[in-house]
Amino acid sequence: MRVTVDGSAVVVEPGASVLEAARAAGAAVPTLCFDERMAPFGACRVCLVGVHGPDGADTVVASCTTPCREGMVVDTHDPGARRVARAVVELVLSELPAAPARHTELAAVVRDLGVDGSRWSGAVHAERRDTRHPYLAFQHELCISCGRCVRACDEIQGAFALTAVGRGFDANVAAGIDAGFRDSACVSCGACADTCPTDAITELSLLAIAGATEDDSASSP
Amino acid sequence: MPGNLVQLASRHGSPGSPTVVELLSAAVRERGVLTDDDIRAAAATTGLPEATVHGVATFYDDLRAPRGRRHVRVCTGTACFAATGGAHEHELQAGLGVAPGERAADGSVSLAETVCLGFCHSAPAVRDGDVIDAGPGVVERVLADCAQDAGEPAARSLLPEPALTAAGDWSALPAVLARLDPEQFLEQVADAGLCGRGGAWFPAAQKWRFARAAPAQQRYIVANGDEGDPGSYIDKHLMERSPALVLEGMALAGYAVGAGEGVVLVRSEYPGSRPALEAAIEAARAAGLLGEDILGSGFSFDVRVVDGAGSYVVGEETALLACVHGLRGTVSARPPFPAERGLYGLPTVVHNIETLANVPVIAARGAAAYRDLSPLSRYGGSKLVCFNERFVRPGVVEVPFGVTVRELCEGVAGGLVDGRAIKAVQIGGPLGGILPASLLGTPFDGAPLAAAGCMVGHGSILAFDDRTDMRAVARHLLAFGADESCGTCFPCRIGLRRAHEEFASPRAVDRTRLEALLETLEVASLCAHGSGMPAPIRSLLEHFPGELGLA
Repeated sequence: MRVTVDGSAVVVEPGASVLEAARAAGAAVPTLCFDERMAPFGACRVCLVGVHGPDGADTVVASCTTPCREGMVVDTHDPGARRVARAVVELVLSELPAAPARHTELAAVVRDLGVDGSRWSGAVHAERRDTRHPYLAFQHELCISCGRCVRACDEIQGAFALTAVGRGFDANVAAGIDAGFRDSACVSCGACADTCPTDAITELSLLAIAGATEDDSASSP
Repeated sequence: MPGNLVQLASRHGSPGSPTVVELLSAAVRERGVLTDDDIRAAAATTGLPEATVHGVATFYDDLRAPRGRRHVRVCTGTACFAATGGAHEHELQAGLGVAPGERAADGSVSLAETVCLGFCHSAPAVRDGDVIDAGPGVVERVLADCAQDAGEPAARSLLPEPALTAAGDWSALPAVLARLDPEQFLEQVADAGLCGRGGAWFPAAQKWRFARAAPAQQRYIVANGDEGDPGSYIDKHLMERSPALVLEGMALAGYAVGAGEGVVLVRSEYPGSRPALEAAIEAARAAGLLGEDILGSGFSFDVRVVDGAGSYVVGEETALLACVHGLRGTVSARPPFPAERGLYGLPTVVHNIETLANVPVIAARGAAAYRDLSPLSRYGGSKLVCFNERFVRPGVVEVPFGVTVRELCEGVAGGLVDGRAIKAVQIGGPLGGILPASLLGTPFDGAPLAAAGCMVGHGSILAFDDRTDMRAVARHLLAFGADESCGTCFPCRIGLRRAHEEFASPRAVDRTRLEALLETLEVASLCAHGSGMPAPIRSLLEHFPGELGLA
């Protein structure tokens, strides 16, 4: 199947997503909820791109969950898509009690999109930490509900130890019946910490290192 | 949808066995609050992981609020807001001495907010145990512990020969089974131009073709009885007063797409709907109209009912199917569409209740007669609309498309009570635009309403009278939007909270920032909840900017 990404022709397998086509063409499309090891989720909406369909209609779509169609023309620099993706990232910054630590994927997306602070302020997630597990820590206030940890636990490990909880702005993540990793079906594989883009779930040892070396990152991502 | 969890739910749950949502609802009804043991028991019964069941317990309204021996639910829907400005909520809270979402220390009484009870014709409404009382004096009666069931106005029709307000009689199914093969009947529905009445207006026959073409041993028809739009009580009317019409529509749809089973998801805010549907299912089975080999045709089809537990977004089709699976009622990205991979991962046609009620009308009258039901419109068929308590003659009314909103508001519904003037009407639910009084001449039809920033939606017509504070309307709608966001996509999860905060704070609203937020919601949201909530706010910005406290 042939599609065009930012002016370059790309051949992709039938069923490929627009994000896969864009990456095959070498285009940099930022993402937050996407992890190629798991099925696309379509939650963060940071991977928005412009699509000019064969029918002539111009739309903005989430590239991770949109399948390619023959002859599709993709514009990863579409001004509307970029403007809205940046606004979404600003909204994410506005829900966190502090700027993301420099080493996190979220901080990298903030840099890539050239986001400089947030226009929005308001309620932020309350601090709630859980360090009962020997080496996995929750910092619930940093959770952006991307679902990567829950899906890693389901799709990579098959442990089903994690779940999304709550809804709307108060959505978050829990292990077992919110009793922490140790009292859940967790097998301590660390797939959740590995995929987390914000340190909401992280390894305790890394938390200590990050705290020691990234003190200056707390205020400027 | 989370594929692995759907597989688990499909493997362990035999059809008709209670879902996790139903098991947890029963536990909370019995004991007032969910314990970890309840969650473990539901996990063991259903084969779903404990974490998953815990996630369900934190999602639905019914499972989150603790219940006292007496559980009072106050309707905070838009019709109740238009009637009292919210005063009934404060009076009830003060009188009962408990805040919404809380239970008295001695366990005697609890109060919860609910949206909406579907008594918009007699607002405000309160549910005290299993009694739904509504209208003037309701708060006093509930506080005196003498709530009484509120009545409901009879439905009317403006059509020469009522279609959707006539009770179903199962006369269409035998004729179709005898005379048409499934493809022929599907083509008749396509020719009639039936489009989805839930608000999205998708051509029904197209869904049927997709599902029919998807290779599978089993297919499903799912009826969306999660009529969550505050201000709407159309599907409630159909499920409770004309359940046979809905069931016959499901059976006909099943015949066309090759489905053998139907499921109706009924919202828990309508306690009367499930018993009415189940009585009609039993009657149809007894008459040989549901079950194996219907009327000797070789076509088998049966229907069961599944309960919701309080979530607006469950009205979205992927969230609806998640709820039928007993999972968190969150939205999933499409594709795959339910017609390809839906209930238990199999091809599924999801239709709004009213859409299904149209199917026997098409079968009985034919495609051409159906299209002619609305002579002034390009749309075929008729529409049920419903009016709120501000009108002199509220109730469900069957109307042709194309008459003006003014004729509906002033002629059919008799204008407003106490001679008050209409300030604006919101049409089609919380995601519908708001039409100011100056535009009441707009025809009630797709294109003209769209040109005015509005939509037919599901068909509720909700008047705000001349005393209404439109900034308070924005605050009310956005509080609803933020509360009901399922939390999956970031724009809706965070953006509706920020939009509500703009209007809830005493500060002036920064218009530039608000418009950036509305654009983000419209362009980037995963489903119609996030992308639709800006519509009424845009109407208010256009028609009532002076009342919004803009900077």
